[in-house]
Amino acid sequence: MQDSVAPESAGARAGLSSRLPGEQSNLLARRRKAGDWPAAWLLLTPVLILFGIAVVFPLIDTIRLSFFDIKGLAKPKFIGLGNYLKLFTDPAFRNTLVTTLIFTVSTTILSVGLGWMLAMVSAFAPRQTLPFRVMIFAAFGISEAVAGYMWIGILRPDAGGLLNAAIGLFQPGFAQPWLGDPRTALWVLIVAASWGGVGLPLMLCFASVQSIPKTLFEAAYIDGASHGQVMRNIMMPLSLPGVRVAIFINLLGALRAFDIIYILTGGGPVRSTETVGYFMYRESMTQFKLGYGAAATVVLLVAVLVVSIPAIIQRTAGAR
Amino acid sequence: MTMSARTRGIGRRAVLAGIGLAAMLAAAPASAQDLSGELVILQWQGGTDAEMWQKLEADFTAKNPGVTVRELVVTGQGDMRGPMRTALLGGEKVDIIINTWPAFRAELADAGILRPIDELWGSAGLDAVLDQSWKDLGSTNGVTFGVNYTYGDRSAVWYKKAHLEKAGIEPPKTWEEFLASIDKLKAAGFAAPIAMPAKYWAHGEWFETLLLRTGGVEAASKLAAHEIPWTDEIVKTTLKKYAELLKAGCCGTPEQMFAGDWDYSADQIFTADASNYLMIGMWMNARARNDYKLNEGVDYSIFQFPALGLGHDDTSSVDAKEVAVTANGANPAAADAFAVYMVSKDAADILASYGYASPSKNADPSLLGPVQQIATAAVAQSKVQFVLGDLLPGDLVDEYRVQLQKFLQDPSDATIDTVTAAIEAKAMELY
Repeated sequence: MQDSVAPESAGARAGLSSRLPGEQSNLLARRRKAGDWPAAWLLLTPVLILFGIAVVFPLIDTIRLSFFDIKGLAKPKFIGLGNYLKLFTDPAFRNTLVTTLIFTVSTTILSVGLGWMLAMVSAFAPRQTLPFRVMIFAAFGISEAVAGYMWIGILRPDAGGLLNAAIGLFQPGFAQPWLGDPRTALWVLIVAASWGGVGLPLMLCFASVQSIPKTLFEAAYIDGASHGQVMRNIMMPLSLPGVRVAIFINLLGALRAFDIIYILTGGGPVRSTETVGYFMYRESMTQFKLGYGAAATVVLLVAVLVVSIPAIIQRTAGAR
Repeated sequence: MTMSARTRGIGRRAVLAGIGLAAMLAAAPASAQDLSGELVILQWQGGTDAEMWQKLEADFTAKNPGVTVRELVVTGQGDMRGPMRTALLGGEKVDIIINTWPAFRAELADAGILRPIDELWGSAGLDAVLDQSWKDLGSTNGVTFGVNYTYGDRSAVWYKKAHLEKAGIEPPKTWEEFLASIDKLKAAGFAAPIAMPAKYWAHGEWFETLLLRTGGVEAASKLAAHEIPWTDEIVKTTLKKYAELLKAGCCGTPEQMFAGDWDYSADQIFTADASNYLMIGMWMNARARNDYKLNEGVDYSIFQFPALGLGHDDTSSVDAKEVAVTANGANPAAADAFAVYMVSKDAADILASYGYASPSKNADPSLLGPVQQIATAAVAQSKVQFVLGDLLPGDLVDEYRVQLQKFLQDPSDATIDTVTAAIEAKAMELY
């Protein structure tokens, strides 16, 4: 039937169909705009109010506070950019920037790398391994505070600590103060933080692998590919969207890390584990220099935006 | 008429009774007045201390049945000034603030939150109950704000008796004996005789008493006010004495010191039997009795910091807790009565039952346990100075503790110069 359609009429129909839906959709959109906006606003208003109270107002107020000198309960004094100038000449803050960078990059590499690798292995693993996968993911659901106290037990400096006791099986009396040594404290902290962060990348990467069409695997195996080749040439490249999301989420989480640092090291020893998140807490809540702490918060916010915006743009473009 | 006459008669009696009642009320102390309403206390203490406070509050309300007490509890870890500030800035109105930081009292007073109690001090006759030194300790810029209700000896060294017996030593009295005891304890199998809790702040305890014993109360007081620099020879000599201790192998490696906070260090002595000496303050007593279930004076005891022989061995570091009344509280009469109650005999008895000493002359020292009695006697014979860390500005405290950690890593003369210069540089910014 289609073959019998005249080229002109087909072309005209094609032209019509390319024009009409656009015009129709514009007309419909205009009608929807005109007719639906009260209902749309009604539905949006509660969300906008909540968003304003929970996000916009605290954000604006934090930025406002960062221009004030606030010490304890004394009256705030406007100092313009004074807090920012002080912040970037403060050796303690400069130290936190380096520590934050190491902590963020390392925890992201470790947790996403491990999660990705486990996702690959899980894809080949028999159904019976499901409980283990669930357990790995469950670590993601444990609060950082609870995980912190668990790690305190593991990392106790005496021979009674779980890690020391395990090493002590081969080297009796072994007692390494893992969190007391400025050379090891940050790395131990990174391991502890990454442990809780493996579950999410595992799930995201595993979901990406599951979404790969089965026909690709079948074709590869028919062509004589090994498991390793399938993993390297099919699963790894096609699970990259999941990896990208996992990296993005982990970077944001690591940049803002606080709980586990507070519990395990308190930023010490000798400020060796103090990240921007912890510095912010110390200045705002311990020293109660709310203005200075707010300036550190704004710097952290800018860092989070720098990380987020490219990812958001990419995701939005992908959605279109 | 009769009615009228009777009314006049009643009126005269009522006037007379009214005058009599007014005279009685004017003469009576605040606690005996017909107090009523809710008394709000800003509470930041937990565990055994919180339990003790509930007993104190129950006793107070039993004496003042018209009053109900409500605790506004703030929670947190470490320095509780942050949560307290948050509550107060958030608009919470309380009648009583429990405070242990003189610098925080000054901050509260500057912000207009505290009400001066000099008048109350006079009308309630508190001069007869607390010595002038306690009044001074509760004052900021000559104005009295706090009624001190308990204090602790921060120059006491805690030990377990069995450990010293095992090493064949008596509690050391001099610095030389103390250093020698470290060798003997190590020979008895204790690798790190001093449990040094250097994770956050408690390594400052040793420095502060060494400072007192090196330069005296005057020097410590001047240092707190930055009237002498941190690069002063007194501070350097103090650190050199501290270095003697570290070089004697008192405390294990710096990494071991940084790995422990004060309660972990206490565990090392009282449950793990791995260390022997701890300086931390009198709250150790409640922990030893209630958590470790040890017998005070039998299983464990204290000795006062050994004599350095530099002319200031009659000094001790102390901490204290006070109640302060607020300017914006809804029930000032009950707040005043509660402040006075806290130095009464009944309150002192409750404090003693929890192992805490009261500075009140109403307190009966015989109710205290043997360890607390040693501490009380030592403080009574000493020139006292408040804990240095609670007198310094917050920023400086932080720098001072971090620099002390650097000193623990390398207690050399060169490090002493570096760390004192770093603290001084910070102090110059802040004073």
